[in-house]
Amino acid sequence: MLCIGCRTCMIGCVVAHEGKHIFEVDPDGYDFHPKLKVIKTFNVSVPVQCKHCEAPACMAACKSDAIHIVNGTVIIRTEKCIGCKSCAEACPFGAIQMVTLGSARNADGAPRSVANKCDLCQDQPKGPACLRVCPTAALRLVKEEDLGQTLKNKRLATLGLALGAEAQKQAAIGA
Amino acid sequence: MSMGVHEIEDAALLFVFGYNGADSHPIVARRIVRAKQKGAKIICCDPRRIETARIADMHLQLKGGTNLLLVNALANVIIEEGLCDDDFIEKHSTGFEEFKEVIKKYTPEGVAERTEISAGEIRKAARMYAQSGRSMILYGMGVCQFGQAVDVVKGLANLAIMTGNFGRPAVGIGPVRGQNNVQGACDMGALPNVYPGYQSVTVPAIREKFEKAWGVKLSDQPGITLTNVPHHVLHEPDPKKRIHAYYIMGEDPAQSDPDLAEVRESLEKCDFVILQDIYMNKTGQYADVILPATGWCEHDAVYSCCDRGFQKARKLIEPTGDVKRDWEIIGLISKAMGRPMEYTNTVQIWNEVIDLCPGFMGATDEKLEKNACIQWPCRSKEEHDMGTVFLHKDGKFAHPDGKAKFAPSEWRPPQELENEEYPLSFSTVREVGHYSVRTMSGNCRTLRNLEDEPGWIQMNPEDCGELGLRHGELVKVRSKRGYCITRCLPTERVKKGATYMTYQWWIGACNELTIGNLDPISKTPEYKYCACRVEKIEDQAWAEKHVREEYEEIRANMGIQTKGGRAA
Amino acid sequence: MPSEFGLFVSTDIAKCSGCKACEMACFQSHNIKRNNVGKTVGTISVPVTPKLYVTVIETASMPVQCKHCENSPCKAVCQQKAISRVGSQIIVDEAKCIGCKDCLMACPFGAIALLPFYVGGRQAPQADSSGGKVAASKCDLCYEDPEGPACVRVCPNEALRLTDVNEERKKKNIAAAEALAVINAGDPGRRALS
Repeated sequence: MLCIGCRTCMIGCVVAHEGKHIFEVDPDGYDFHPKLKVIKTFNVSVPVQCKHCEAPACMAACKSDAIHIVNGTVIIRTEKCIGCKSCAEACPFGAIQMVTLGSARNADGAPRSVANKCDLCQDQPKGPACLRVCPTAALRLVKEEDLGQTLKNKRLATLGLALGAEAQKQAAIGA
Repeated sequence: MSMGVHEIEDAALLFVFGYNGADSHPIVARRIVRAKQKGAKIICCDPRRIETARIADMHLQLKGGTNLLLVNALANVIIEEGLCDDDFIEKHSTGFEEFKEVIKKYTPEGVAERTEISAGEIRKAARMYAQSGRSMILYGMGVCQFGQAVDVVKGLANLAIMTGNFGRPAVGIGPVRGQNNVQGACDMGALPNVYPGYQSVTVPAIREKFEKAWGVKLSDQPGITLTNVPHHVLHEPDPKKRIHAYYIMGEDPAQSDPDLAEVRESLEKCDFVILQDIYMNKTGQYADVILPATGWCEHDAVYSCCDRGFQKARKLIEPTGDVKRDWEIIGLISKAMGRPMEYTNTVQIWNEVIDLCPGFMGATDEKLEKNACIQWPCRSKEEHDMGTVFLHKDGKFAHPDGKAKFAPSEWRPPQELENEEYPLSFSTVREVGHYSVRTMSGNCRTLRNLEDEPGWIQMNPEDCGELGLRHGELVKVRSKRGYCITRCLPTERVKKGATYMTYQWWIGACNELTIGNLDPISKTPEYKYCACRVEKIEDQAWAEKHVREEYEEIRANMGIQTKGGRAA
Repeated sequence: MPSEFGLFVSTDIAKCSGCKACEMACFQSHNIKRNNVGKTVGTISVPVTPKLYVTVIETASMPVQCKHCENSPCKAVCQQKAISRVGSQIIVDEAKCIGCKDCLMACPFGAIALLPFYVGGRQAPQADSSGGKVAASKCDLCYEDPEGPACVRVCPNEALRLTDVNEERKKKNIAAAEALAVINAGDPGRRALS
């Protein structure tokens, strides 16, 4: 609901991964491949990005040993990617996009295209760039403890509702 | 705006009419979102499902061109259902009885068909607006860029007056100005009928004050508005009344004015055209002289925010290239024309301005330095006067009797409606990733990575289906006045029969289509409504090549250095 | 607009019955001209050599076929330059193939087999050898057939589909976005995490 569809997150992602030199080189001299994409439908505007599944379908599909879980984050080592698209096909969310690199070629000189997806800014000291640049703070990094706390809060609230309903029932019977 | 931007998040109800905050002003959109987080209700009136409509409690998706029908119908409900603030009307307004007479016929049932909004919804919205206790209207180009614009603004103001939503915190009516510092341009009198501070050129006492301050003789006649320039170049029979020279500063008429074919003709036929700007743009191709100026952060400045707030901006970097500051350029030209201007810094200029404008007099440089933002009116130089957050406190209005005036109008449709030859309606819109005509943001590479020529035309998927168009396909969009080529974007966010384009592209130049029908008072063109048709291009390979080649040609004409076809 | 990345055929594994109609259709469509194969079994005078390989285990079956990789290992290793990109697809020029088997080894999916290569009803000669020619055989997406992949058309269970990753991604993204809307539905705060 906070997302206003401005796509600053997509630019932040590219700047974080490519580095600030992209503003200094020739405009055709860098790759612009955001790892998340803002989707706009009738009902919603929101970025879609990798959910770092516990049992990643992409990792199961990859025959090149390019996808691994590192510190709880699902990472694609694109140097190993043969571009077979199996991971992109496997991801139920479409969070993996095939992209053509301007900065690298295959050994035979042909253009190199690899699988591209959110890596939680693993090698950035400040963490995910997207949530840092979002003007409405619509993005949030969800950690395991957040999930635990959410479950705890929701369950307590559910218990509270049940107690309230029970009390009302008793009052109705009593009256 | 009658209120401050920061007050938006404290309204109990936001009535957003013809205004797209998420695409025009993300920072204002943030306030709207915060308002919702704080529990405000939102009513959004817009023919498209814009971001604000998505989070609104009510989205009145009206048919384009029916603004006043809806506004008057809302007034009708408030009156009929006894929801007026009778006390406020009695104490602080005039003309209510005459107003009621006109509004009587605008029943929700009567306007439902034409507005495409049910009577029930109109009633619900009217009740919400009238009963919230703290309702704020935000409006934008969806109101102003029609042949009937000023009437709608007055209509909206009528709603605020009749419900007492003026003169206290977090209420009122706010045009969220389209351009960065358009408020400032108006505050400084870049309008043909007023001096700085909205002081009329036709009032002798005021004219004498400025003549004395500047040591020159000044005309007592209002000048010509931007949108009337083509007429005065091309069609004015008397050579003494014709425009022979056009000095254009920080504007790109060859891109953003309606009916571009006519604009081009007027620029070509005009004897002398000067362009003063920070980057080359479409208009520059027609200039006889180009005066390159410094951009923001290369100079000190004072901007006016849409909520009347003066804010200082300071120089941060040294400019590169042969450029001068705008005020230096004007000073040099003035000197060459025989009237020297001996300023050495912007504070001197600012001090002169505020001393000549009673409403700005207290907005001293010292206060601006300290306070980040001073909203005029700020009349006293004393420390205690830090400006005016909201207007009409205690129900005081600017008319001589101190009261608000009800001003009803009858609705009239847009000038050019859909017809057999041009069966779709067309409107210009904005998008967040590029700013206005792209003179600046077109030179930002990552913004260009997100969106580049030839742009898109937003169409309902059913219309695309009927024409056999797919997402991304190049199409020709044509109106009576001209055509452009752009890409098809099927989206459920627009209604069947309606199309929309952003006005920033050179190839996808949608102002080739727009009509120069002006509001009689504000002279703003009817960008938001004309008739068009969309044509499928069978040979897509040709179309892609053509778009690329045209783009290169324009860049070559502008002398933009390219390497591999892309500039900085 | 032509696709940016190689299209390929994928299988809905729940629907595949292992009937191999796809293999037959593939063989037939590639040998109509070359070996006069018609619509009846009687017209077959050469070995049946499909370009996709139905693979069966106890609980499932599916054809394994080329994924038209972007950084294709088979193309990278072929020193005869017999494998090239045509449009967005990876195509083997069987005439150039010398049967070295490098591509077969390079393909991680086993999508390439070395099969006898027949022309005009007879096995083509193998250069420098008295044996007949064998050549790398892999899915070419029926790139010369205006009607597209024969396997997709013939599968009785409609288990095969032509996949464009970009088109599929768009549909998945919309579903994912709608799901996020449900998670964050309603109240001004963020419902997902509270």
